[in-house]
Amino acid sequence: MIFEQMKNALVAAATEAGIEQYEIYYQVGESISAETLKDDISAFSSSVSGGICFRCIVDGKMGYASSELLTEDAMQELVKNAALNAACIDSEDEVFIFEGSPEYAKIEAGEVKLTDAVTIRDTALRLQKETYAQSDKVADGTQSVAMSSVGEVRLYNSHGLSLSNRTGMSGAYAAAVVRDGEEAQEAFDFAVGETFEDVKETAATAVRKALDKMGASVAPSGKYNVVFDGRQFRQFLSVFSSAFSAKNAQLGLSLLAGKEGEQVAASFINVVDDPMREGSPIKTPFDGEGVATARRAVIENGVLKTMLYDLTTAKKAGVTSTGNGQKGSYAAPVSIAPYNFGLMAGDCDFDTLLAKAGEGIYITECKGFHAGANAITGDFSIESAGFMIRDGKLAEPVKSFTVAGNFFSLIKDIDLLGNEVRWGIPGRTVFGAPDVLVRDMSVAGK
Amino acid sequence: MMIAKALAEEVLASAMSGGADFVELFGEITRNNSINMVDGKIDRVTDNLVSGVGIRAFLGTKTVFASTSDTSRAGLLKCARAVAAATGELRAVEKIILNERMFPNIHPAKVIPSSVDAKVRADLLRAGCFAAKEYNEAISQVSGTLLGVDHTILVANTEGLYTTDRHIRTRMAVSAVASAAGVNQSGFNGPGAGMGLEFFDLVNPVDIGREAARQAMVNLGADYCPAGTMTVAIENGFGGVIFHEACGHSLEATSVAIGASQMAGKLGQQIANPKVTAIDDGTIPSAWGSVNIDDEGHPTQKNILIENGILKSYMIDRLGSRRMGLPMTGNSRRQSYEYEPTSRMTNTYIDNGPDKNEDIIASIENGLYCKKMGGGSVNPLTGAFNFSVAEGYLVKNGKICEAVRGASLVGTGSEILQNIDMVGQNLERAQGMCGSSSGSIPTDVGQPLIRVSSITVGGR
Repeated sequence: MIFEQMKNALVAAATEAGIEQYEIYYQVGESISAETLKDDISAFSSSVSGGICFRCIVDGKMGYASSELLTEDAMQELVKNAALNAACIDSEDEVFIFEGSPEYAKIEAGEVKLTDAVTIRDTALRLQKETYAQSDKVADGTQSVAMSSVGEVRLYNSHGLSLSNRTGMSGAYAAAVVRDGEEAQEAFDFAVGETFEDVKETAATAVRKALDKMGASVAPSGKYNVVFDGRQFRQFLSVFSSAFSAKNAQLGLSLLAGKEGEQVAASFINVVDDPMREGSPIKTPFDGEGVATARRAVIENGVLKTMLYDLTTAKKAGVTSTGNGQKGSYAAPVSIAPYNFGLMAGDCDFDTLLAKAGEGIYITECKGFHAGANAITGDFSIESAGFMIRDGKLAEPVKSFTVAGNFFSLIKDIDLLGNEVRWGIPGRTVFGAPDVLVRDMSVAGK
Repeated sequence: MMIAKALAEEVLASAMSGGADFVELFGEITRNNSINMVDGKIDRVTDNLVSGVGIRAFLGTKTVFASTSDTSRAGLLKCARAVAAATGELRAVEKIILNERMFPNIHPAKVIPSSVDAKVRADLLRAGCFAAKEYNEAISQVSGTLLGVDHTILVANTEGLYTTDRHIRTRMAVSAVASAAGVNQSGFNGPGAGMGLEFFDLVNPVDIGREAARQAMVNLGADYCPAGTMTVAIENGFGGVIFHEACGHSLEATSVAIGASQMAGKLGQQIANPKVTAIDDGTIPSAWGSVNIDDEGHPTQKNILIENGILKSYMIDRLGSRRMGLPMTGNSRRQSYEYEPTSRMTNTYIDNGPDKNEDIIASIENGLYCKKMGGGSVNPLTGAFNFSVAEGYLVKNGKICEAVRGASLVGTGSEILQNIDMVGQNLERAQGMCGSSSGSIPTDVGQPLIRVSSITVGGR
């Protein structure tokens, strides 16, 4: 309703200003969450937010303006500002308002709705109770949170293209703090879904992970065979996914530039971007420009099959858009990003990975990727924690060491893949990876 | 005014009707103007207007929070009723009476970014980016952003406070990439201030760009840093990120008040080397991390966190104050109305110490000199931290030698505080964005040159 009203105001203002090519992008979201401390709800919150972005082409340049204030006056401002902003652009890249794809993926018609407040409170309390029940070492500071959110996107443009998509998800997490004498450790686990049945498992996993860290010592420096937990390895994909952006490639900011069709990884490595991945609560049939999305093999048997493109970079490269021109929020300009970006599983179970590693380190925690990894150079040096592997079996916990290398070498050096992909918390992009064995990695500790 | 006093009174009373003992209304109108340049061309110019309210109710140490971007009277009352309904049984409340209050503005801005033609702003950014590109022919790519923020807040609460504040920020960030023989190396520089475009009368965009390019060139000529435990000297300015991460976050009431901090229960104890005095000061005129009042309407102040190694104060917001029984310190901050505010840093730094800078370098037989630090992160419970070194050099026999790249520093907060055994005299601050539970906020970090007697250096 408000969208129709604002749309009409924008169309009228654009017509008045003589702007022929424009797009209106509207996003609205609602969320609720409950947080516990000790044995009670400590915080409950709810939010409603939404905004509109107007972008238009004036003299071949694209200008943007966006607002959360949804009034007719504000819409007139948007049209004026977007046109002024277009006039400042000096990039000569061709820009587009899209006419539409022949067809768009249909989303299974399950009703998307916000979980009610009572269920959310109850889930947070149950999870907290289960977490405390796991061990008498669980200490205050432990928090459990349950949340639910729904969102809607609507896109309308001057070609008459009119698209909409609703998404929603619910989830819960436990951040368990455990204490034993002077030592305190914490760990986190989450579950995504509407039924919240996994609460007990989430509590158990969080507490077990925290207890496992007790008594860790600093790992000795050296070269090690390393088994990364998939939950950690997926963070590498998160940081280095920008190297797959055609925009970065065209700007010389990706070391994968010009390597489509070449072997860039070990021959059994497959990386897929799947916007409609089964099991993902966030499915995206069209991107921020209105282009239909599709499942793509990005790396197939080690060969780089395609970069990720939006309309502008695709035109420059003489290919078609892969439907990866996303908008991070209603206000954000289109930028290239994947949806469900995963390293596909191999066939090794966990015990086999440890056995093949022989002597080494199993890494269960990696932190500070935003600082310790550089997507342009590929270099990383990451604070890590985990367990020693001795004689093919897990041994004592270790902490406060860094594991270092270069991502573009790492994907060539992967030795073995685990047999299950661990997907992360849903968001604009979800990353997934199996456990991974890499030989001879540099570890710096004591 | 975005929400008239009478309407604010009505909204607060409605939100109070669930039995809360305190309610606060936070309103915001923010204009973000951003210009991006890459490959020698302006490629994005965006304006965004953020507008909304957040209402928070307290019942002892429990909170209920709701936010909305619908700032119509109906939207505000709906949000208030949602808060009341989630607090408890509805009941009659007394009339709320608000008194308007003005706090002095100690961060005046002369040239509001959004009032200046985008073409003029674009020229400033061009100057920065072109200077980086022209620095050396090995500089293969330069990108930059010029950000202007015009942030107006309103805070009203059931203690009768009704006030507003307006805060202007300007920042230019330039990233440069140097390439040779299939290797890319990068450099970054991003100064900013709580000022308008007059900031560029103090800091020349050309110098901003050149500094980013210089760093990229140093790294291009550098080998990988060796790994191991070393004595490390960390330079002033952004080097202060080490205190921000390793200690600052652990002094926020957010984690201290619930016992999830390594620093909980340590007031009055010697937690750092006696040479260390650390301060959080939200009142530094026109600094990037300064504000006149915090996001709960409490004036900011200069808080001495650590004095001669002894823990003197935490950073405390209203909820933390209730939980801990200690006064508020003007540190409550939030990214926007959509976030519940919590205790955060403003401008946090290690103060000048007793040592001469040249003595610090001369004292290192075999170690690392970190001229520029990158970002980092910390776990407040255990104090475990990591930082990347953006520009580093080996130190041999008291002399700074060849550049090394790819290094990181890891350790724990309590350990490094004891190991800071020399503190120099060239205090300088630098700007960053700090991310935590109440969102991303501008903060300054800072310190003089310091020496850490022993720390793990990650490299290879």
